[in-house]
Amino acid sequence: MFVQLKNVSFHYKNTKELTIQNFSLAIEKGEIVSILGKSGSGKSTILRLIAGLEIPFSGSIHINESIMADDKQFIQPEKRGVGMVFQDYALFPHMTVAENIKFGLKKMSRIQKKERLDEVLALVGLKEYVKRYPYELSGGQQQRVALARAIAPNPSVLLFDEPFSNLDAELQIKIRDELRTILKQTGITSIFVTHDKMDARALADRVVVMEEGTIFRVGEPAEVLNNEFTMSPVPV
Amino acid sequence: MKLFRLMKLKMNSWAILSFLITIIIMMPILFITFEFFTRSSENWEHINEYLLNSYLFNTLLILFFTGLLTVFIGVSMAWFISAYDFPLRGFFKWGLILPLAIPPYIGAYTYNGILNYTGVIQSILRNFYQIEVNQKYFNIMSIPGAIFIFSVFLFPYVYLITKNFLENQSASLVENARLLGSNSFEIFFRIVIPISRASIVAGVSLVILEVLNDYGVVKYFGIQTLSTAIFQTWFGMADLGSAIKLSGILMMIVVVILMAEKWLRGRKKYSYSNSKVRPLKPVKLTGYKAWAIFAYISAVFLLSFFIPFIQLVKWTFTTYKQVLSDEFIGLIWNSTFVAFTAAAVIVVIALIIANFSRLFEGRVTNLVSKIVVLGYSIPGAVIAIGVLTLFIALDRQLLIFYQLIGLTPSLVLSLSLSMLIFAFVIRFMAIGYNSIETGFDKIGTTFTEASRTLGMTVTQTFFKVDLKMIKGAVAGGFILVFIEILKELPLTLILQPFNFYTLATKAFQYAGDERIQEAASASILIILISGVSIYIFHKVLEKEPG
Amino acid sequence: MSKNVFYTIGLLLVLSLAVLAGCSSEQSQSSNNETKTEKKEAAKSEDKGEVNLYTSRHYEIDDELFAAFTEQTGIKVNVVKGEENELIERLAREGDATQGDLFYTSDAGRLHWAKEKNLLQAVDSETVNANIPENLRDKDKEWIGLTKRARVIVYSKDRVKPEQLSTYEDLTDAKWKGKVLVRPSDNVYNQSLLASFISLNGEDKAKEWAKGIVANMARDPQGGDRDQAKAIVAGEGDVAIMNTYYVGVMLNSEDPEEVKVAEKVGVFFPNQETNGTHVNVSGIGLTKHAKNKENAVKLIEFLSSEEAQGKFAEANYEYPANPKVQPSELLKSWGDFKPQDLNLSELGENNAAAVRMFNEVGWK
Ligand SMILES: Nc1ncnc2c1ncn2[C@@H]1O[C@H](COP(=O)(O)OP(=O)(O)OP(=O)(O)O)[C@@H](O)[C@H]1O
Ligand SMILES: [Fe+2]
Ligand SMILES: [Mg+2]
Repeated sequence: MFVQLKNVSFHYKNTKELTIQNFSLAIEKGEIVSILGKSGSGKSTILRLIAGLEIPFSGSIHINESIMADDKQFIQPEKRGVGMVFQDYALFPHMTVAENIKFGLKKMSRIQKKERLDEVLALVGLKEYVKRYPYELSGGQQQRVALARAIAPNPSVLLFDEPFSNLDAELQIKIRDELRTILKQTGITSIFVTHDKMDARALADRVVVMEEGTIFRVGEPAEVLNNEFTMSPVPV
Repeated sequence: MKLFRLMKLKMNSWAILSFLITIIIMMPILFITFEFFTRSSENWEHINEYLLNSYLFNTLLILFFTGLLTVFIGVSMAWFISAYDFPLRGFFKWGLILPLAIPPYIGAYTYNGILNYTGVIQSILRNFYQIEVNQKYFNIMSIPGAIFIFSVFLFPYVYLITKNFLENQSASLVENARLLGSNSFEIFFRIVIPISRASIVAGVSLVILEVLNDYGVVKYFGIQTLSTAIFQTWFGMADLGSAIKLSGILMMIVVVILMAEKWLRGRKKYSYSNSKVRPLKPVKLTGYKAWAIFAYISAVFLLSFFIPFIQLVKWTFTTYKQVLSDEFIGLIWNSTFVAFTAAAVIVVIALIIANFSRLFEGRVTNLVSKIVVLGYSIPGAVIAIGVLTLFIALDRQLLIFYQLIGLTPSLVLSLSLSMLIFAFVIRFMAIGYNSIETGFDKIGTTFTEASRTLGMTVTQTFFKVDLKMIKGAVAGGFILVFIEILKELPLTLILQPFNFYTLATKAFQYAGDERIQEAASASILIILISGVSIYIFHKVLEKEPG
Repeated sequence: MSKNVFYTIGLLLVLSLAVLAGCSSEQSQSSNNETKTEKKEAAKSEDKGEVNLYTSRHYEIDDELFAAFTEQTGIKVNVVKGEENELIERLAREGDATQGDLFYTSDAGRLHWAKEKNLLQAVDSETVNANIPENLRDKDKEWIGLTKRARVIVYSKDRVKPEQLSTYEDLTDAKWKGKVLVRPSDNVYNQSLLASFISLNGEDKAKEWAKGIVANMARDPQGGDRDQAKAIVAGEGDVAIMNTYYVGVMLNSEDPEEVKVAEKVGVFFPNQETNGTHVNVSGIGLTKHAKNKENAVKLIEFLSSEEAQGKFAEANYEYPANPKVQPSELLKSWGDFKPQDLNLSELGENNAAAVRMFNEVGWK
């Protein structure tokens, strides 16, 4: 198992009840998992826990056989090799597109960085925008830069928080197919949070449906998503 | 085990540093509080019977009306400047911050100098038109006069904060309202005021804290307020106990104000994590509307800066021969050096603590951020004595060490400038801290988190992302503190080392001796240096994208 | 990661400490600026040491005299200029560690207060004793008066005839209702004036007087002494309680309007038939823990000398304390007067009572 959450519980500082309750999930290397669920069910929180942005209250998280968090230990986010695309992109406004993407590239020569930049820019189709600042981009373009930035350092695990919500249908399909190809080629283990069951169907090897901080359903996309009953509470 | 893990997680160097700084800052305040319990307050009965009511009444009266007026002037200026285009708008945009360059006590002396019997207005009326006026209408040394002085010289705090907000964050709301056909008045009262509530409250809190701690204006005008009372009981009656009780009342008012501020500001956070900030486009005005607004703004500018400035320039010309010497180069150097150093220290500390408290939210961190800004609610003289006591105690501890390294004098630290700078840091931390905290509030934590998932540590992130994104707030905080220290008086008077004079103490030396004309040269220099800083501040803010 | 953090933060801390340390060394540099000339002098005549002074007087003549002293003796004078009460507090807190050798202020009450707080020590100098009459010195020799200032009645030459004036007490008479001008009670000059009445006339009489003045005030107390003179000429009131030297300074002001004001007011020395006009002093005391005692005494001797006293008299229109020195022509033109017969220490002893009294009668 590449990513493993065991009985993870968590609550935010200013809340009493658990936001995540006894959450367990194991993900294989290279697997693409999609998380669906109502707004507020805890999808983003799960990603934050895996990334190390929140400290679990109890339970443990392992990545690639090493402990990321348990009762005794906690590995800081920058040490986890986990990339993340944020729900609101979080592009650094004081950096150009190129600078944003190169931000996470360490221990690389200038030329290597440039190559990597071109690669990921080609993937998201934003080659001619390298010199722009985030506020000079449309919402969809910003989102693609965020995607490129997260992929660039070659993380072993990649987390996506609703990565396609701002793209037009055509672009969405194109990017998501290309993305799947890349993820599969590079063997990056990834987790998608999404509201769109089409996304889930097209991308995911497995689908997790969350409700109130726990897993409501897990399984093959076809199996889980065809069940009308489960889908009804999930807004599109 | 878990507790241990949590502690290890939180006790990083940011935390350690923050706690250290907090303890150091708290020490002088503790010293004074300690004396509260050890010294008697024999005059308390007397103060309570004869003075307290009028002290409180005068203080609250001045606070209330100054607050009202500064909000009115500040918000209307902010709205006109950000929503309309009219003659000289580009200048007024920063020109309206200039009144901050004039210390209110100098403003008070100057206005009295203009209005009194030998002042320019009355002498012209008398000498050229043989008109003798009723002094009642020209007497500024009253409570309404003090309210006027505070309002014209402090409204820029409200103006500045509200303007920045309106320019950067209100575009979509205001444009929507315009599209929906609201007229200007409706937009102003139904949209602008409610949405800028947080900024207005932040600005007016600064004004109120300044007024509460003012000593110069009210003393000169003969108005008894809490701050004059503190001086009088402490130094005049040698009754530290009562003085501290009065400071306690003052601090209670401050706490109430700060709580009201928190409550009025609401729980809203203004992060713009999607980098979609769009500046408000001013509407070009023509005809009588343009001129009406121009006239209103010019009137405010004349009263709050131009008139007193010109009067001071004139006095400088009549007296510079007696007063100005090469000594002034030293004064300028001393003033800017102290202000610059203290402002730099404040900014560094504020950055450390603000970053710590935003990344590791919790009760303890909350407390830390409250303690560091405590100094702003304590009268300068009280801080000064606390710091003095602390430094003397330190010196006594270090006595043996001094002898070891071959120094003879027994007071080293308490005769050095570091004591004065330390006191400034305590006193004005809040101004720098608030500015930087607002900057952090605006960017939220998402960028930091993004940076960390991209492999950067908290500290790397701080330098590469956070610091760069709040540059404007840092520069703003620095300059506000710098100007504030340039103008500061009571603290400097108590803690100055030998032969160390600043522009402010020089101005005081003459003004305190009722020679306001001779005080003009030093005052003008304070105003010029502050004015230049304000201009730089404005330029920095202009460049900020959002 | 923590290593990294420690390095960067450590660097920050060291930097800010370095800046602070820089400040301490800066101090001596800035003092160079201030007293360049004195420094040069001192260097010329080898190091004759220094003397450290806390003063609440801010007259330029003082700086000139200190410079002259340095020139004569080679002793450098270091100065802290503050406000009297705060300086006393600072001296008290510094205790035996203080670097201040002398405390110099313009009110006998404050000098006495410093003495009461055990901050001063006796000066026994033949020169000083010869220069300054005994009644202007503390009875335990702990402070020495250097200049005298009379607090008098100033009146409108247009509306008041000097014959109408007689005593301070007379100002409480109904005929002056709405005509009396005076500054606020937080000022030491007023506090010492009332303290002198407490000594001479007793608490009850003094309080009655203060009450009477409040009843006759032309307006709420405000501003400084000069503002009272202006108010007279502006017609707000007819008489004011003021120190004489302000009239002198105004007569010689750069501002022609001030000169005109001063020309329109007369100076009247009250209580000549009774217990005399209130006189206060500017005085100096040697601090208990002075480190440069010898130099300090030399400075006091210098300030009491005829040379220095002459300059006091000319520059600031104060009355010299040294009887061998003539007051300025202007002061002489106002004539001689009979001062209160009072040990000035009592001004200090009664200060607290005076402050309370002002509050009780509502003298703002
Ligand atoms: N910083 C926070 N402090 C307190 N509560 C929070 C915080 N962030 C989220 N929550 C709460 O935790 C719960 C789970 O939030 P989470 O963001 O994980 O939901 P989500 O499933 O991602 O929703 P959405 O689909 O709307 O993004 C919600 O009830 C939310 O209100
Ligand atoms: Fe005086
Ligand atoms: Mg979410």
